[in-house]
Amino acid sequence: MAGEDDKKPLVVVVDDSATSISLYQFSVEKLPIEFKGFKSPADAYPYLQEYRPDLLFLDIIMPGMDGLKFLRRLRALPIQKDTPVVMVTSKDYAQDRTVAKQLGALDFMIKPLRFQEIRDTICKYISIEPIDSNNT
Amino acid sequence: MSTLNYIRFWGVRGSFPAPFGSHLRVGGNTCCVELRVDDHVLICDGGSGIIPLGNNLMGQQDIKEVLVMMTHYHWDHISGLPFFVPAFVPGWKVNFFGPGENEQEIERRISEQMVDPYFPVEIEMWMADIRYKLLKNGQINYGPFVIETFNVHHPGSTYGYRILVHGKTIIYVSDNELGFIDGTIENRKEELEPREFEMIKQMQQEEHDKAVEVIEGAHVLIHDAQYTPEDYAKKRGWGHSCYIDTVNFGVDARVKQLYLYHADPTYNDFKIEEIHRECVKIVHERNASVECHIAREGMIIDIDQL
Repeated sequence: MAGEDDKKPLVVVVDDSATSISLYQFSVEKLPIEFKGFKSPADAYPYLQEYRPDLLFLDIIMPGMDGLKFLRRLRALPIQKDTPVVMVTSKDYAQDRTVAKQLGALDFMIKPLRFQEIRDTICKYISIEPIDSNNT
Repeated sequence: MSTLNYIRFWGVRGSFPAPFGSHLRVGGNTCCVELRVDDHVLICDGGSGIIPLGNNLMGQQDIKEVLVMMTHYHWDHISGLPFFVPAFVPGWKVNFFGPGENEQEIERRISEQMVDPYFPVEIEMWMADIRYKLLKNGQINYGPFVIETFNVHHPGSTYGYRILVHGKTIIYVSDNELGFIDGTIENRKEELEPREFEMIKQMQQEEHDKAVEVIEGAHVLIHDAQYTPEDYAKKRGWGHSCYIDTVNFGVDARVKQLYLYHADPTYNDFKIEEIHRECVKIVHERNASVECHIAREGMIIDIDQL
Protein backbone atom coordinates (compact mmCIF):
# COMPACT_ATOMS: atom_id res chain seq x y z
CA MET A 1 0.00 0.00 0.00
CA ALA A 2 1.22 3.51 -0.78
CA GLY A 3 2.45 5.43 2.19
CA GLU A 4 3.77 2.24 3.78
CA ASP A 5 7.23 3.84 4.22
CA ASP A 6 6.09 6.76 6.31
CA LYS A 7 2.52 5.63 7.04
CA LYS A 8 1.12 8.96 5.92
CA PRO A 9 -2.50 8.80 4.80
CA LEU A 10 -2.83 8.64 1.04
CA VAL A 11 -5.07 11.17 -0.74
CA VAL A 12 -5.68 10.68 -4.47
CA VAL A 13 -7.31 13.10 -6.92
CA VAL A 14 -8.55 12.19 -10.40
CA ASP A 15 -9.36 15.34 -12.38
CA ASP A 16 -8.69 16.16 -16.02
CA SER A 17 -7.73 19.74 -15.18
CA ALA A 18 -4.03 20.17 -14.46
CA THR A 19 -4.80 23.45 -12.68
CA SER A 20 -7.34 21.70 -10.52
CA ILE A 21 -4.75 19.14 -9.45
CA SER A 22 -2.31 21.98 -8.68
CA LEU A 23 -5.00 23.61 -6.58
CA TYR A 24 -5.31 20.45 -4.47
CA GLN A 25 -1.55 20.14 -4.30
CA PHE A 26 -1.18 23.71 -3.09
CA SER A 27 -3.96 23.23 -0.52
CA VAL A 28 -2.47 20.12 1.06
CA GLU A 29 1.18 21.18 1.09
CA LYS A 30 1.27 21.48 4.86
CA LEU A 31 -0.89 18.51 5.67
CA PRO A 32 0.81 15.30 6.83
CA ILE A 33 -0.44 13.27 3.89
CA GLU A 34 0.86 11.66 0.74
CA PHE A 35 -0.77 13.16 -2.36
CA LYS A 36 -1.20 11.70 -5.83
CA GLY A 37 -2.95 13.38 -8.76
CA PHE A 38 -4.07 11.74 -12.01
CA LYS A 39 -5.44 13.46 -15.09
CA SER A 40 -7.77 10.69 -16.21
CA PRO A 41 -9.44 7.48 -15.05
CA ALA A 42 -7.25 5.61 -17.54
CA ASP A 43 -4.10 6.99 -15.86
CA ALA A 44 -5.40 6.34 -12.37
CA TYR A 45 -6.81 2.85 -12.85
CA PRO A 46 -3.56 0.83 -12.83
CA TYR A 47 -2.48 2.65 -9.66
CA LEU A 48 -5.85 2.14 -7.98
CA GLN A 49 -5.81 -1.54 -8.79
CA GLU A 50 -2.87 -1.73 -6.42
CA TYR A 51 -3.28 1.03 -3.85
CA ARG A 52 -6.23 1.97 -1.69
CA PRO A 53 -6.36 5.69 -0.89
CA ASP A 54 -7.51 6.90 2.50
CA LEU A 55 -9.52 9.47 0.57
CA LEU A 56 -10.23 9.71 -3.14
CA PHE A 57 -11.47 12.89 -4.85
CA LEU A 58 -13.15 12.15 -8.19
CA ASP A 59 -14.12 14.73 -10.79
CA ILE A 60 -17.33 13.89 -12.67
CA ILE A 61 -17.00 15.52 -16.10
CA MET A 62 -13.89 14.13 -17.75
CA PRO A 63 -13.19 13.13 -21.33
CA GLY A 64 -13.71 9.45 -21.95
CA MET A 65 -15.06 7.87 -18.80
CA ASP A 66 -16.94 10.17 -16.40
CA GLY A 67 -16.26 10.07 -12.68
CA LEU A 68 -19.45 8.25 -11.73
CA LYS A 69 -18.85 5.51 -14.26
CA PHE A 70 -15.27 5.27 -13.04
CA LEU A 71 -16.42 4.95 -9.44
CA ARG A 72 -18.75 2.11 -10.45
CA ARG A 73 -15.77 0.37 -12.04
CA LEU A 74 -13.60 0.98 -8.97
CA ARG A 75 -16.23 -0.44 -6.64
CA ALA A 76 -15.93 -3.71 -8.53
CA LEU A 77 -12.30 -3.97 -7.37
CA PRO A 78 -12.14 -5.66 -3.96
CA ILE A 79 -9.44 -3.21 -2.86
CA GLN A 80 -11.69 -0.20 -3.60
CA LYS A 81 -15.05 -1.55 -2.54
CA ASP A 82 -15.27 0.72 0.50
CA THR A 83 -12.70 3.43 -0.26
CA PRO A 84 -13.89 6.82 1.05
CA VAL A 85 -14.75 8.88 -2.02
CA VAL A 86 -15.70 12.53 -2.51
CA MET A 87 -17.22 13.49 -5.86
CA VAL A 88 -16.21 16.92 -7.13
CA THR A 89 -17.93 18.54 -10.05
CA SER A 90 -18.72 21.73 -11.87
CA LYS A 91 -22.32 20.52 -12.36
CA ASP A 92 -24.72 20.19 -9.47
CA TYR A 93 -27.61 17.94 -10.37
CA ALA A 94 -29.79 15.91 -8.01
CA GLN A 95 -29.56 12.83 -10.23
CA ASP A 96 -25.75 12.83 -9.98
CA ARG A 97 -25.94 13.22 -6.21
CA THR A 98 -28.26 10.21 -6.01
CA VAL A 99 -26.00 8.03 -8.16
CA ALA A 100 -22.94 9.14 -6.15
CA LYS A 101 -24.71 8.20 -2.93
CA GLN A 102 -25.75 4.83 -4.32
CA LEU A 103 -22.10 4.19 -5.15
CA GLY A 104 -21.13 4.99 -1.57
CA ALA A 105 -19.59 8.44 -2.09
CA LEU A 106 -19.31 10.26 1.23
CA ASP A 107 -19.64 13.76 -0.11
CA PHE A 108 -20.46 15.78 -3.22
CA MET A 109 -18.64 19.07 -3.68
CA ILE A 110 -19.14 21.79 -6.25
CA LYS A 111 -16.24 23.45 -8.06
CA PRO A 112 -14.55 25.80 -7.57
CA LEU A 113 -13.14 24.43 -4.30
CA ARG A 114 -11.33 26.73 -1.93
CA PHE A 115 -8.02 25.73 -0.34
CA GLN A 116 -9.56 25.57 3.11
CA GLU A 117 -12.52 23.49 1.88
CA ILE A 118 -10.13 20.91 0.50
CA ARG A 119 -8.16 20.80 3.73
CA ASP A 120 -11.30 20.65 5.88
CA THR A 121 -12.68 17.79 3.81
CA ILE A 122 -9.48 15.80 4.12
CA CYS A 123 -9.33 16.40 7.87
CA LYS A 124 -12.99 15.47 8.21
CA TYR A 125 -12.64 12.08 6.54
CA ILE A 126 -9.18 11.04 7.69
CA SER A 127 -7.97 11.51 11.20
CA ILE A 128 -5.56 14.41 11.01
CA GLU A 129 -5.59 17.74 12.76
CA PRO A 130 -7.15 20.57 10.76
CA ILE A 131 -5.08 23.64 9.95
CA ASP A 132 -6.66 26.99 9.18
CA SER A 133 -6.09 29.35 6.28
CA ASN A 134 -3.73 31.54 8.32
CA ASN A 135 -1.20 28.76 8.05
CA THR A 136 -1.12 28.69 4.26
CA MET B 1 -30.35 5.30 -54.11
CA SER B 2 -30.65 8.80 -52.71
CA THR B 3 -28.14 11.27 -54.17
CA LEU B 4 -28.54 13.92 -51.50
CA ASN B 5 -26.53 13.49 -48.31
CA TYR B 6 -28.18 15.54 -45.63
CA ILE B 7 -29.00 16.45 -42.07
CA ARG B 8 -32.70 16.88 -41.38
CA PHE B 9 -34.33 18.22 -38.23
CA TRP B 10 -37.39 16.18 -37.24
CA GLY B 11 -37.75 17.59 -33.72
CA VAL B 12 -36.10 20.67 -32.24
CA ARG B 13 -37.90 21.30 -28.94
CA GLY B 14 -36.56 20.47 -25.53
CA SER B 15 -38.46 19.30 -22.46
CA PHE B 16 -41.91 18.58 -23.96
CA PRO B 17 -43.68 18.84 -27.33
CA ALA B 18 -45.12 22.22 -28.30
CA PRO B 19 -47.83 21.57 -30.92
CA PHE B 20 -49.14 25.12 -30.81
CA GLY B 21 -50.04 27.31 -33.75
CA SER B 22 -47.76 30.03 -32.40
CA HIS B 23 -44.77 27.64 -32.43
CA LEU B 24 -44.96 25.93 -35.78
CA ARG B 25 -42.48 27.97 -37.81
CA VAL B 26 -39.84 26.53 -35.48
CA GLY B 27 -41.67 23.27 -34.84
CA GLY B 28 -43.28 21.38 -31.98
CA ASN B 29 -41.66 17.94 -31.82
CA THR B 30 -38.93 17.04 -29.32
CA CYS B 31 -35.35 16.12 -30.17
CA CYS B 32 -34.62 14.09 -33.28
CA VAL B 33 -32.14 14.71 -36.07
CA GLU B 34 -31.55 12.46 -39.07
CA LEU B 35 -28.27 12.21 -40.96
CA ARG B 36 -28.63 10.37 -44.25
CA VAL B 37 -25.41 9.68 -46.14
CA ASP B 38 -24.83 7.09 -48.89
CA ASP B 39 -28.17 5.54 -47.92
CA HIS B 40 -27.10 5.02 -44.33
CA VAL B 41 -29.33 6.60 -41.71
CA LEU B 42 -28.03 7.83 -38.40
CA ILE B 43 -30.60 9.22 -35.98
CA CYS B 44 -29.69 11.44 -33.05
CA ASP B 45 -32.25 10.99 -30.24
CA GLY B 46 -35.72 9.48 -30.22
CA GLY B 47 -37.95 12.34 -29.09
CA SER B 48 -41.38 12.77 -30.66
CA GLY B 49 -39.69 13.84 -33.91
CA ILE B 50 -38.67 10.24 -34.54
CA ILE B 51 -42.33 9.34 -35.14
CA PRO B 52 -42.70 11.19 -38.48
CA LEU B 53 -39.15 10.13 -39.37
CA GLY B 54 -40.14 6.47 -38.87
CA ASN B 55 -43.23 6.98 -41.04
CA ASN B 56 -41.05 8.62 -43.70
CA LEU B 57 -38.66 5.66 -43.65
CA MET B 58 -41.57 3.26 -44.11
CA GLY B 59 -42.41 5.07 -47.34
CA GLN B 60 -39.19 4.08 -49.08
CA GLN B 61 -37.55 0.79 -50.05
CA ASP B 62 -33.79 1.44 -50.23
CA ILE B 63 -33.00 1.57 -46.55
CA LYS B 64 -33.92 -1.10 -44.00
CA GLU B 65 -31.44 -0.36 -41.25
CA VAL B 66 -30.84 2.61 -38.93
CA LEU B 67 -28.65 3.52 -35.98
CA VAL B 68 -30.41 5.49 -33.23
CA MET B 69 -27.99 7.25 -30.88
CA MET B 70 -29.41 8.53 -27.62
CA THR B 71 -27.63 11.37 -25.87
CA HIS B 72 -29.41 10.30 -22.66
CA TYR B 73 -32.78 8.90 -21.64
CA HIS B 74 -34.88 11.85 -20.52
CA TRP B 75 -38.42 11.83 -21.89
CA ASP B 76 -37.88 14.46 -24.57
CA HIS B 77 -35.26 12.13 -26.07
CA ILE B 78 -37.09 8.77 -25.90
CA SER B 79 -40.81 9.52 -26.05
CA GLY B 80 -41.08 8.83 -29.78
CA LEU B 81 -39.57 5.34 -29.60
CA PRO B 82 -42.83 3.51 -28.72
CA PHE B 83 -44.26 4.86 -32.00
CA PHE B 84 -41.19 4.34 -34.21
CA VAL B 85 -42.74 2.04 -36.80
CA PRO B 86 -39.56 0.47 -38.32
CA ALA B 87 -38.81 -1.16 -34.95
CA PHE B 88 -42.07 -3.13 -35.19
CA VAL B 89 -41.55 -4.41 -38.73
CA PRO B 90 -39.77 -7.70 -39.55
CA GLY B 91 -36.99 -7.23 -42.07
CA TRP B 92 -35.80 -3.97 -40.50
CA LYS B 93 -32.69 -3.70 -38.35
CA VAL B 94 -32.60 -1.03 -35.65
CA ASN B 95 -29.34 -0.43 -33.79
CA PHE B 96 -29.35 1.56 -30.56
CA PHE B 97 -26.52 3.28 -28.78
CA GLY B 98 -26.44 5.51 -25.71
CA PRO B 99 -24.90 5.94 -22.27
CA GLY B 100 -24.64 2.61 -20.46
CA GLU B 101 -22.09 0.13 -19.20
CA ASN B 102 -23.21 -2.69 -21.49
CA GLU B 103 -25.88 -3.74 -24.00
CA GLN B 104 -28.28 -4.88 -21.27
CA GLU B 105 -28.15 -1.50 -19.55
CA ILE B 106 -28.87 0.37 -22.78
CA GLU B 107 -31.76 -2.00 -23.51
CA ARG B 108 -33.17 -1.58 -20.02
CA ARG B 109 -33.04 2.20 -20.21
CA ILE B 110 -34.77 2.28 -23.58
CA SER B 111 -37.39 -0.33 -22.76
CA GLU B 112 -38.52 0.73 -19.31
CA GLN B 113 -40.93 3.35 -20.66
CA MET B 114 -42.70 0.60 -22.64
CA VAL B 115 -44.16 -1.41 -19.76
CA ASP B 116 -47.58 -1.73 -18.24
CA PRO B 117 -49.27 0.50 -17.07
CA TYR B 118 -47.39 3.22 -18.97
CA PHE B 119 -47.69 1.70 -22.44
CA PRO B 120 -49.70 -1.26 -23.75
CA VAL B 121 -46.95 -2.69 -25.95
CA GLU B 122 -43.57 -3.88 -24.67
CA ILE B 123 -40.35 -4.08 -26.67
CA GLU B 124 -40.98 -7.79 -27.17
CA MET B 125 -43.33 -6.56 -29.90
CA TRP B 126 -40.43 -4.95 -31.74
CA MET B 127 -40.19 -7.44 -34.61
CA ALA B 128 -37.20 -5.79 -36.25
CA ASP B 129 -33.72 -7.10 -35.60
CA ILE B 130 -32.88 -4.95 -32.57
CA ARG B 131 -29.23 -4.53 -31.60
CA TYR B 132 -27.51 -2.55 -28.87
CA LYS B 133 -24.10 -1.23 -29.76
CA LEU B 134 -21.07 -0.35 -27.67
CA LEU B 135 -18.05 1.80 -28.41
CA LYS B 136 -15.04 0.03 -29.92
CA ASN B 137 -11.74 1.81 -29.32
CA GLY B 138 -13.71 4.90 -28.32
CA GLN B 139 -15.70 4.99 -31.57
CA ILE B 140 -18.65 3.63 -33.44
CA ASN B 141 -18.24 2.99 -37.13
CA TYR B 142 -21.50 2.84 -39.04
CA GLY B 143 -21.39 2.89 -42.83
CA PRO B 144 -19.69 6.16 -43.80
CA PHE B 145 -20.06 7.57 -40.25
CA VAL B 146 -17.39 7.59 -37.56
CA ILE B 147 -18.90 8.65 -34.25
CA GLU B 148 -17.15 9.66 -31.03
CA THR B 149 -18.75 10.58 -27.72
CA PHE B 150 -17.89 13.17 -25.10
CA ASN B 151 -19.41 13.97 -21.70
CA VAL B 152 -21.46 17.13 -21.28
CA HIS B 153 -22.95 19.13 -18.42
CA HIS B 154 -26.41 17.68 -17.88
CA PRO B 155 -27.89 15.50 -15.12
CA GLY B 156 -26.72 11.89 -15.24
CA SER B 157 -24.52 10.45 -17.97
CA THR B 158 -25.17 12.50 -21.08
CA TYR B 159 -23.22 12.37 -24.32
CA GLY B 160 -22.38 14.85 -27.00
CA TYR B 161 -21.62 13.32 -30.38
CA ARG B 162 -18.82 14.14 -32.79
CA ILE B 163 -19.75 12.71 -36.16
CA LEU B 164 -17.26 12.52 -39.02
CA VAL B 165 -18.67 11.84 -42.47
CA HIS B 166 -17.52 12.63 -46.02
CA GLY B 167 -14.72 14.74 -44.59
CA LYS B 168 -17.18 16.87 -42.59
CA THR B 169 -17.45 17.22 -38.81
CA ILE B 170 -20.91 17.47 -37.32
CA ILE B 171 -21.31 18.01 -33.59
CA TYR B 172 -24.59 17.16 -31.87
CA VAL B 173 -25.02 18.45 -28.31
CA SER B 174 -28.71 18.45 -27.48
CA ASP B 175 -28.43 19.19 -23.75
CA ASN B 176 -25.50 20.98 -22.17
CA GLU B 177 -25.19 23.71 -19.56
CA LEU B 178 -22.24 25.80 -20.69
CA GLY B 179 -22.34 28.53 -18.07
CA PHE B 180 -22.61 26.65 -14.80
CA ILE B 181 -19.06 27.00 -13.51
CA ASP B 182 -18.83 30.64 -14.63
CA GLY B 183 -21.88 31.42 -12.50
CA THR B 184 -20.53 29.54 -9.49
CA ILE B 185 -17.23 31.41 -9.66
CA GLU B 186 -19.02 34.72 -10.09
CA ASN B 187 -21.19 33.99 -7.03
CA ARG B 188 -18.17 33.15 -4.87
CA LYS B 189 -15.81 35.81 -6.22
CA GLU B 190 -15.95 38.00 -3.14
CA GLU B 191 -14.92 35.24 -0.75
CA LEU B 192 -11.92 33.97 -2.73
CA GLU B 193 -8.35 34.81 -1.77
CA PRO B 194 -6.28 36.35 -4.58
CA ARG B 195 -4.21 33.17 -5.08
CA GLU B 196 -7.38 31.05 -5.12
CA PHE B 197 -9.07 33.39 -7.55
CA GLU B 198 -6.08 33.27 -9.88
CA MET B 199 -5.94 29.46 -9.88
CA ILE B 200 -9.69 29.11 -10.24
CA LYS B 201 -9.75 31.50 -13.21
CA GLN B 202 -6.96 29.45 -14.75
CA MET B 203 -8.96 26.25 -14.18
CA GLN B 204 -12.04 27.88 -15.72
CA GLN B 205 -10.03 28.84 -18.80
CA GLU B 206 -8.58 25.35 -19.04
CA GLU B 207 -12.06 23.77 -18.88
CA HIS B 208 -13.32 26.18 -21.51
CA ASP B 209 -10.36 25.50 -23.81
CA LYS B 210 -10.87 21.77 -23.51
CA ALA B 211 -14.57 22.05 -24.34
CA VAL B 212 -13.75 24.25 -27.34
CA GLU B 213 -11.08 21.83 -28.54
CA VAL B 214 -13.67 19.05 -28.94
CA ILE B 215 -15.79 21.08 -31.38
CA GLU B 216 -13.14 23.35 -32.90
CA GLY B 217 -13.58 24.02 -36.59
CA ALA B 218 -16.67 21.82 -36.93
CA HIS B 219 -18.71 22.29 -40.07
CA VAL B 220 -21.94 22.06 -38.10
CA LEU B 221 -22.61 22.51 -34.40
CA ILE B 222 -26.13 21.64 -33.23
CA HIS B 223 -26.26 22.88 -29.64
CA ASP B 224 -28.63 23.48 -26.75
CA ALA B 225 -29.67 27.16 -26.63
CA GLN B 226 -32.80 26.78 -24.53
CA TYR B 227 -32.93 29.90 -22.40
CA THR B 228 -32.87 33.67 -22.47
CA PRO B 229 -30.54 35.20 -19.83
CA GLU B 230 -33.60 36.03 -17.68
CA ASP B 231 -34.86 32.44 -17.73
CA TYR B 232 -31.38 31.01 -17.29
CA ALA B 233 -31.02 33.02 -14.09
CA LYS B 234 -34.10 31.22 -12.76
CA LYS B 235 -33.16 27.81 -14.14
CA ARG B 236 -29.45 27.67 -13.51
CA GLY B 237 -28.47 24.08 -12.71
CA TRP B 238 -31.20 22.56 -14.88
CA GLY B 239 -28.62 21.39 -17.43
CA HIS B 240 -29.35 23.77 -20.32
CA SER B 241 -27.60 26.74 -21.86
CA CYS B 242 -28.42 30.38 -22.25
CA TYR B 243 -28.23 31.26 -25.95
CA ILE B 244 -25.51 33.88 -25.25
CA ASP B 245 -23.20 31.16 -23.92
CA THR B 246 -24.04 28.94 -26.89
CA VAL B 247 -23.27 31.52 -29.54
CA ASN B 248 -20.05 32.56 -27.82
CA PHE B 249 -19.04 28.91 -27.60
CA GLY B 250 -19.61 28.49 -31.34
CA VAL B 251 -17.63 31.65 -32.08
CA ASP B 252 -14.76 30.62 -29.78
CA ALA B 253 -14.59 27.25 -31.55
CA ARG B 254 -14.79 28.86 -35.00
CA VAL B 255 -17.48 26.48 -36.16
CA LYS B 256 -18.81 27.07 -39.65
CA GLN B 257 -22.53 26.76 -38.93
CA LEU B 258 -24.30 26.90 -35.58
CA TYR B 259 -27.88 25.63 -35.11
CA LEU B 260 -29.71 26.86 -32.01
CA TYR B 261 -31.40 23.69 -30.74
CA HIS B 262 -33.51 22.28 -27.88
CA ALA B 263 -35.80 25.29 -28.01
CA ASP B 264 -37.80 26.02 -24.91
CA PRO B 265 -41.38 24.78 -25.50
CA THR B 266 -42.82 27.91 -23.91
CA TYR B 267 -41.10 30.18 -26.45
CA ASN B 268 -43.16 31.01 -29.52
CA ASP B 269 -41.80 31.67 -33.00
CA PHE B 270 -41.43 35.42 -32.44
CA LYS B 271 -39.42 34.91 -29.28
CA ILE B 272 -37.07 32.40 -30.92
CA GLU B 273 -36.62 34.66 -33.92
CA GLU B 274 -35.74 37.48 -31.53
CA ILE B 275 -33.18 35.19 -29.84
CA HIS B 276 -31.77 34.43 -33.27
CA ARG B 277 -31.39 38.14 -34.07
CA GLU B 278 -29.53 38.62 -30.79
CA CYS B 279 -27.21 35.73 -31.64
CA VAL B 280 -26.46 37.14 -35.09
CA LYS B 281 -25.70 40.47 -33.43
CA ILE B 282 -23.22 38.80 -31.08
CA VAL B 283 -21.52 37.08 -34.03
CA HIS B 284 -21.19 40.46 -35.79
CA GLU B 285 -19.95 42.22 -32.66
CA ARG B 286 -17.26 39.59 -32.31
CA ASN B 287 -16.36 40.00 -35.96
CA ALA B 288 -16.79 36.26 -36.44
CA SER B 289 -17.84 34.28 -39.48
CA VAL B 290 -20.13 31.71 -37.83
CA GLU B 291 -23.40 31.26 -39.73
CA CYS B 292 -26.00 31.16 -36.99
CA HIS B 293 -29.38 29.50 -37.65
CA ILE B 294 -32.48 28.50 -35.77
CA ALA B 295 -32.86 24.72 -35.97
CA ARG B 296 -36.32 24.44 -37.50
CA GLU B 297 -38.36 21.27 -37.88
CA GLY B 298 -38.17 20.09 -41.51
CA MET B 299 -34.98 22.03 -42.26
CA ILE B 300 -32.48 20.17 -44.43
CA ILE B 301 -28.71 20.80 -44.62
CA ASP B 302 -26.82 19.44 -47.61
CA ILE B 303 -23.74 17.79 -46.08
CA ASP B 304 -21.71 17.85 -49.29
CA GLN B 305 -22.21 21.60 -49.64
CA LEU B 306 -20.79 22.38 -46.20
